[in-house]
Amino acid sequence: MRLFYALISCFFTDWLMALQSSSGGVSGLAWHLWTHGIADLNLPPHLEADAPFGIVGGHEGMCFHAKDGVASLPAPQNLSVHSTNMKHFLTWSPVILPGETVHYSVEYQGEYESLYMSHVWIHSSGCLLTEEPKCDLTDDITATVPYQLRVRATLGSQTSAWSTLKRPFNRNSTILTPPRMEVSKDGFHLVIELEDLGPQFEFRVAYWRREPGAKEQAKVVRSGGVPVHLETMDPGATYCVKAQSLVKAIGRCSAFSQAECVEVQGEALPLALALFAFVGFMLILVVVPLSIWKMGQLLRYSCCPAVVLPDTLVHGCERAAHLGEARGVCIWKGRSRYPCHQWMTRGSPGSQESVSRIQR
Amino acid sequence: MKVQRVSLWLLGAMLILCSVRTHPLRRCWISMDMRHVEESFQEIKRAIQTRDNFHNVTILSTLGALQSIKPLDVCCVTKNLLAFYVDRVFKDHQEPNPQILRKISSIANSFLYMQRTLQQCQVQRQCRCSQEATNATKIIHDNYDQLEVQSAAIKSLGELNVFLAWIDKNHQETSAA
Repeated sequence: MRLFYALISCFFTDWLMALQSSSGGVSGLAWHLWTHGIADLNLPPHLEADAPFGIVGGHEGMCFHAKDGVASLPAPQNLSVHSTNMKHFLTWSPVILPGETVHYSVEYQGEYESLYMSHVWIHSSGCLLTEEPKCDLTDDITATVPYQLRVRATLGSQTSAWSTLKRPFNRNSTILTPPRMEVSKDGFHLVIELEDLGPQFEFRVAYWRREPGAKEQAKVVRSGGVPVHLETMDPGATYCVKAQSLVKAIGRCSAFSQAECVEVQGEALPLALALFAFVGFMLILVVVPLSIWKMGQLLRYSCCPAVVLPDTLVHGCERAAHLGEARGVCIWKGRSRYPCHQWMTRGSPGSQESVSRIQR
Repeated sequence: MKVQRVSLWLLGAMLILCSVRTHPLRRCWISMDMRHVEESFQEIKRAIQTRDNFHNVTILSTLGALQSIKPLDVCCVTKNLLAFYVDRVFKDHQEPNPQILRKISSIANSFLYMQRTLQQCQVQRQCRCSQEATNATKIIHDNYDQLEVQSAAIKSLGELNVFLAWIDKNHQETSAA
């Protein structure tokens, strides 16, 4: 029964399928091989023979595998890889069976394995029996060589054939997008924060003053997610910034992002204000005393206090008139009061109008 | 007298120029992220090195002697050692543990990429092997052949850190490159 054991050792699940579906049963099959050789074998319709693998007990040993699409789970179709910013996703059309949940397994093979050990396929770390028709291969594709990828569906004890990606995927074909950046000013400091794309990314930042003939400066930022100081800005100027990402592992960089500009408040404005304030202050310094003095003058003429005028004052008017000066002194005439100079214009010291004194 | 002096100056200048040409300051360097390879190795180092039973033997024994070598030899030795690992060590090693297999695959594929990059560089620049470099490589291969294949492969894998450190030291990014 050595051949029987040989059958068990290869593709265990496929042999089980043979056991389930062939009417003769395994022992019948084995007996067939034992006595008649491979050529006389009547395989059940869904099984196909592989090439013989060697001689066991004087007879050829053979492995069988399930034929594609015959009474077994259909293989997933339309495999494609989408890669952006070094994140690689394999997607495929889901295998839909009503009322059933199909699981998928993904395996990969780097170029090294393809060249030196083509039978070796490695399970993808995050996609062993996954339900979604999607696999994140970022942690699996870790070298810049072409990788072969394959998927198969599983439902209970049934598994589909492997469906392989048409063309191997090399991560240097990833799409690199211009990095998102936040340009801000911290006082007079120009600060930039770039999006965090992982340890494989570096950024080249270009910044310049927005004026004719200004030179563009560059700075390398080793990682994103952290605010980086670019330059201390001159007041009143406008600065513009743009950035691109760079991946050393694949030797490629993205396009530059759109330039973003920031303006700094100039010191010229406060200067004008200060000047204006000074001029205004000087004006006030001159105008106010002048107006006070003028007001005082007016008051002396028009606003005479209701006080008892001593004789001296009345005589003062006369005396003042005599001296040619009668301003700023008031006299009463009846109920009206006149400043001296009016009294002067009305009449001479010897006028008919009496000068009355108010008796308090 | 003046003519003699001028011709002497010219001769001196030519000699200097010629010497600069024959010893190019630029060298072929590997522009890739070595960090990932080093990290991958760190994760499996313990598991691999504990399986190495021959403690008195070193395969990469001559790498220590090659710490300070001419720029031309760096290209040759790197090429030879990459080929040693890619053609012999990784192929001879059968890894049963899937976790370790993943990491070894990552390193092997990275080495393949490094070989390609070096090849492109080689086309443009000299990558001649001096006698010293050839001898050093031969000693490494002989050391490997001394042991039984499985043990030799495991030991060489365990000594990857020596090779990676050597690459780091000799393939630092220069402004000329």
